[in-house]
Amino acid sequence: MSMSPQEVQEHMMTYLESTECQIIEKSPYHVTVKLSPQADRQLTGRPYYWGFVDRTGAEPETLSFTFVFDPERYDQHEQEKTAAARQQDHLLSRYYGTAPLLPQLGPGRIQREDVTYGSARLQQIWNAARQEGFCLYLFEQPPSLQRETLFSAPYEPWLGVCFKAEMACDMKKEELHFIGISLVSGQIASPFPDRLKGLTLSPRLPENVHIQPATLSLDAAAGLLESYLTGKLAEMDYGWAEQAKERLKEELAVIDIYYEDLLKEPDEEKLAAIREQFASRRSETTWQYEPKVHLSAITCGLFHLRSKG
Amino acid sequence: MNTSNTSENPHTLPVPLHIDRSWLDQLNNRLEKGGPWGDWGLAQLAIRGEEARLVTSFDELQCLKHLQGLSPLPHQLDTTRKVLFEMSGRAILADEVGLGKTIEAGMILKEYMIRGLVSKVLILVPASLVLQWVRELNSKFGIPAIAQKKAYTWHSDIVVASIDTAKRDPHKDFLLSQEYDMLIIDEAHKLKNKKTTNYQFIQKLRKKYCLLLTATPVQNDMTELFNLITLLKPGQLGRQGDFATNFVVGKRQPKNQEQLKDELAKVMIRNRRGEGPVQFTKRHVTNVSLQLSPEEQALYDGVTAFVKDEYRASGGNLSSMLSLVTLQREVCSSRDAVFLTLVNLSKKIPDESPLTAKVWELVNAIRAIKANTKAEKTIELIRQMNEKVIVFTEYRATQEYLLQYFQKHGLICVPYRGGMNRGKKDWMMDLFRGRAQVMIATEAGGEGINLQFCHHMINFDLPWNPMRVEQRIGRVHRLGQQNDVKIYNLSTSGTIEEHILHLLHEKINMFEMVIGGLDVILERFEKQESLEKRLVKMFLESDSNEEIRQKVNSLGQTLDQIKQQVDYESETMKEEEA
Repeated sequence: MSMSPQEVQEHMMTYLESTECQIIEKSPYHVTVKLSPQADRQLTGRPYYWGFVDRTGAEPETLSFTFVFDPERYDQHEQEKTAAARQQDHLLSRYYGTAPLLPQLGPGRIQREDVTYGSARLQQIWNAARQEGFCLYLFEQPPSLQRETLFSAPYEPWLGVCFKAEMACDMKKEELHFIGISLVSGQIASPFPDRLKGLTLSPRLPENVHIQPATLSLDAAAGLLESYLTGKLAEMDYGWAEQAKERLKEELAVIDIYYEDLLKEPDEEKLAAIREQFASRRSETTWQYEPKVHLSAITCGLFHLRSKG
Repeated sequence: MNTSNTSENPHTLPVPLHIDRSWLDQLNNRLEKGGPWGDWGLAQLAIRGEEARLVTSFDELQCLKHLQGLSPLPHQLDTTRKVLFEMSGRAILADEVGLGKTIEAGMILKEYMIRGLVSKVLILVPASLVLQWVRELNSKFGIPAIAQKKAYTWHSDIVVASIDTAKRDPHKDFLLSQEYDMLIIDEAHKLKNKKTTNYQFIQKLRKKYCLLLTATPVQNDMTELFNLITLLKPGQLGRQGDFATNFVVGKRQPKNQEQLKDELAKVMIRNRRGEGPVQFTKRHVTNVSLQLSPEEQALYDGVTAFVKDEYRASGGNLSSMLSLVTLQREVCSSRDAVFLTLVNLSKKIPDESPLTAKVWELVNAIRAIKANTKAEKTIELIRQMNEKVIVFTEYRATQEYLLQYFQKHGLICVPYRGGMNRGKKDWMMDLFRGRAQVMIATEAGGEGINLQFCHHMINFDLPWNPMRVEQRIGRVHRLGQQNDVKIYNLSTSGTIEEHILHLLHEKINMFEMVIGGLDVILERFEKQESLEKRLVKMFLESDSNEEIRQKVNSLGQTLDQIKQQVDYESETMKEEEA
């Protein structure tokens, strides 16, 4: 899938707002922003500068950017703006002459950067988000009535993990599976986001609630999630893997035939070299074609949700 | 990392399953310490980001939507798809010159990177192309490639290096200990000999995917073709013995062409010019013959006599003669160029030598020259076309002279030469694209200048090496050129220059033939001696213009024969492929 400039902007804004960056100016085509220290550390690649700040306790000076999401319309917009500005100044310039627009340099300089679907900056934002959003500990926020009721509400801890499954041979396909398991009942919610729909989650423990004790250990719950997911993966169509194995077999056969004669080499030393080459060529081919599935987590965490009944 | 196979699992997959459990360790760890905890908003953004770049299909090209500002041509897209989905990432890209092999390689690399199948990449190219590759990968594909400079740069994920550096100690051992997800080799036809260290080095490198780029894959030798393919996929053409009996008749003649064609198509893609939708515009060549002014002619004759005397005096020793012949060629360009060489020459000879007098005589002849016939003609031509134009000269002094001369006549012009650093080169190119009407360049090869926006070109003087002429033309006559290219060759009649032009234009028709095979022709021709050297000898040893003309003609015939031979071979190749 690809993304529209609006979607890219929305992703960017989510990141900038979550990291408490200071938005200076915003239009449908761009945003000008002064980064927060947190965002600056993640995005600007200035480890030495931040090392200096950390060691000396100096007041950090973060960078500012103008991120442009729709370059064409932004440029058009800017041109109109400067044209309008020129008209307004007409009267003054009659007396003082027109001052050329100078580019701003030095620390106050705002760098322009076009951000689109394929740009490295967006990838960086996502990767930073993954790092900062890993390992969650969240509580469902109750409606305001809860505070006034007499009884404390029971909360159930859930383990939620967003898995990425990568099916790879010489080609590749990926799937995401966000699933959760209750540490009390062992019930599995898949997809987990359905269970979270409409809930407000926050790291703050709400008043007047109590957490039900877990019956499952974290490790056990993780094991159950894994086995549930492998069950799902097992139902997948493995035609791709069969074909990859077939290709691998053919390629290996071609290599075997090629080396058959060469391996009859009488000279011990030469033979050793050929054997090595043969083995390495075979292992390269296996590396290239062998089908496999790899599971990893995008994010994970404990979600404390109000018990349902 | 905590990776294991889930053997205890009740469900088993038909393929190995690797589970990365590091998340669980991290979660346990943070629970113990009571944090720090991640931000829910960012976690959701991370998931949406993953969704946005998820590769949902095995066989649909992803790279296009990641590449803004690049509009690949249909044959480049086809090639990318074929390499990915039919050749599993091991291929020889053998497009003819100028069809964009680098673009194809870049797209293939990008696609694999997006799919997460490739992260560690080694790109080996001739030293002069290292920076160009880095720049193209960075600017066109957003691939963070790094040029190898110091030993530690090898540790970067994507490294571009020259093969001659890579195969040497201490780099060699390090590289051989690595595993590369992808290896790309430009100018791979240099890897045709099994016994060379380059070949053996590449064979030992551990690689998953591999692209070999070459414009001239097979014309020369069938065994060379076999070696190249063996590097990529040993056994693809069977065993060495099988290959010989099945496919080879003579050194350069294949047999069982149908079958060979099928086998080749599995590992090699060759797009040709003038096929499919890729159409190159035409080249129009105009030779402008000029008559030297009496003063210029006097200098030319003086220099010619001087050079010949010296040659006879040295007893036919060619190596010391090269700079003197340069003198003769410079006269055809500008008096400034001659002057500089003469001054350098006079510094080298002792004061009392009789040569000094001769040299000063020539310098005096230079003084008599008041105007440059060629420069006047050039201005006239430029005024006529009234469009952007690039002027090529061989000599720095001529370049300076022309800059001054043009500026005096109100033309805005910029210089371009090999010695400029990259920033300056780019700057000059920008100026030329913008305000300047004329670019005066001394160098065309090496790091490419691409001037598709200009379609007029004046050869103020001609190099004696046809490859350099082709490089000059290639600056403007390339993919993306919208107009027919107009080439003007200036030559002064009755001089050495006239003969060179005669040879290049009429004999090998080099300005008009769209060349893919020129390098092959030259390589065969120059097996004994370089073309330039032969020409020098010819001029020095001939007594009359007529004699030179005859010798040039016979040289032209030899070249023509080779050309026909090459054409014939490539025709048969084409038939096989068709």
